[in-house]
Amino acid sequence: MQLIPGTEKYPASYRDRDGFIFKYNNQFYRCINKTYFSQYQHLMDSGLYDLLVKKKWLIAHEEVKDKPEWNSEEYRVIYPQQIAYVSYPYEWSFEMWKDAALLTLDIALTAMEKGMLLKDATPFNIQFVQGKPVFIDTLSFELYDAAKPWIAYRQFCECFIAPLLLQKYADASMNHFFQLYPNGIPLQLVQELLPAKAKWNVHNYMHVYLQGKIKTSKRNASTAQQPFSKPKMLLLLNGLHGYVKKMQVKPAKTIWDDYYTDTILSKQYLDEKAKLVQSLLKKIPFQTVIDLGANDGYFSLLLKDKASAIVSADSDVNCINQLYLKIKNEKISNILPVVSALHTPSPSIGWHHTERMNFTERFKGDVVLALALVHHLAIANNVPLEMIAQWFAALGNYLLVEFVPKTDDKVKQLLQYRQDIFDDYHSTGFEKAFGNYFDILTKATVPGTERILYLAKKR
Amino acid sequence: MHYTFLYLDPGSGSYVLQVIIAAILGGLMFFKNFWLKVKSFFIKPKVKQEDAEEPEQPAS
Repeated sequence: MQLIPGTEKYPASYRDRDGFIFKYNNQFYRCINKTYFSQYQHLMDSGLYDLLVKKKWLIAHEEVKDKPEWNSEEYRVIYPQQIAYVSYPYEWSFEMWKDAALLTLDIALTAMEKGMLLKDATPFNIQFVQGKPVFIDTLSFELYDAAKPWIAYRQFCECFIAPLLLQKYADASMNHFFQLYPNGIPLQLVQELLPAKAKWNVHNYMHVYLQGKIKTSKRNASTAQQPFSKPKMLLLLNGLHGYVKKMQVKPAKTIWDDYYTDTILSKQYLDEKAKLVQSLLKKIPFQTVIDLGANDGYFSLLLKDKASAIVSADSDVNCINQLYLKIKNEKISNILPVVSALHTPSPSIGWHHTERMNFTERFKGDVVLALALVHHLAIANNVPLEMIAQWFAALGNYLLVEFVPKTDDKVKQLLQYRQDIFDDYHSTGFEKAFGNYFDILTKATVPGTERILYLAKKR
Repeated sequence: MHYTFLYLDPGSGSYVLQVIIAAILGGLMFFKNFWLKVKSFFIKPKVKQEDAEEPEQPAS
């Protein structure tokens, strides 16, 4: 259809012929095409929309009425609740994946009661809003025909079951694998990556291994004519639900498990640092925080009552998993946990590199928190201090950063087996490098250590 | 590795599979219910007790 003048079509929204997302005045809107009018009407009139929104499973929207030019016989426009921070499945931990998969099935089951079903099942239809997964694609619902099977079944297997099994059987960090296969991980590849024992679970066998066997069978044509039925569909969806719900990831030790119990990084150190962080942040106005190298979210949690939204990013998938479980159990609504290796943050991917935005485009805040992070980037990953400062400046207006000197045990460990090529890695060099992008407002030493906290404002 | 699914349309490709899976799950469900019945035949009182506790009525 013709795009409404003055609007900009969102590049990730090209698959669905029934509608698309566009941006207008920096706000996201959803255009519904004529082909979807009757299904949209059913969604609204059947009570399904109200039911799902009440449960906070589906994103709420308003119909745009004050712009007559946006409503015609060809299309109409809705204004969905806006999402502050968008995360992608390859940045979720196991429990986040699992909750997203269960939400998809719960929505499909609820939709069936109202005569509808989901026509697709991709985790990109889900965002974490206020600590919980929410389905954001209002146009994914189609009228349910009991004689037909679930059109999105294979997509569900490739986009949810496959990544969950790889995280469960191989490694929790296999969440990143979805970045390579954002349209679904081929099940034959999954079969080869899973250990042999995975085959001995009847559900794994049905949803992953059996697919390869069926396609080679010659009975397809005759069996395909048998009608499906509602009881069969309920068996399938409830079966998947029970299967996903029971999935557990191997209890793993995080890299940081002993971090705070080691030597100087004691409770006392943490308390002192927490006090200092809080007093420094009192000096600046802020609403949103980007906590880089968030670890298990200690400092994000410390700031949860002072900020409207916090993004907690760490490369350790197990740390982020623990943080997600914590915010889920304690119903904390303003922290978004994100798994991303910060020395190589999530890139722009998809069609024309514009379908999924990169880390820097999505996670900008009033203040960037980078505690005990710079030495990992600078020494473990060789990123020059000036380049670190440049990236931080792209993410926020204020910066609270910790400098850990070479005399610190942690830096000594990093340098233990390698040549020290970091001549400018000292507080003066740090101040010079960061001075290119920031004005340093205050600096303070964490009592009992030689670590320095800097509060800085972007130039 | 051969990606033989490439030319399989997602709807019909998984059609047969879903028929089979529904049948397997139906079978599993049948045996599960059967087993639960057998179990409840032998350990009846415990199940009944749990059921009886469920409806909470305010003390008057």
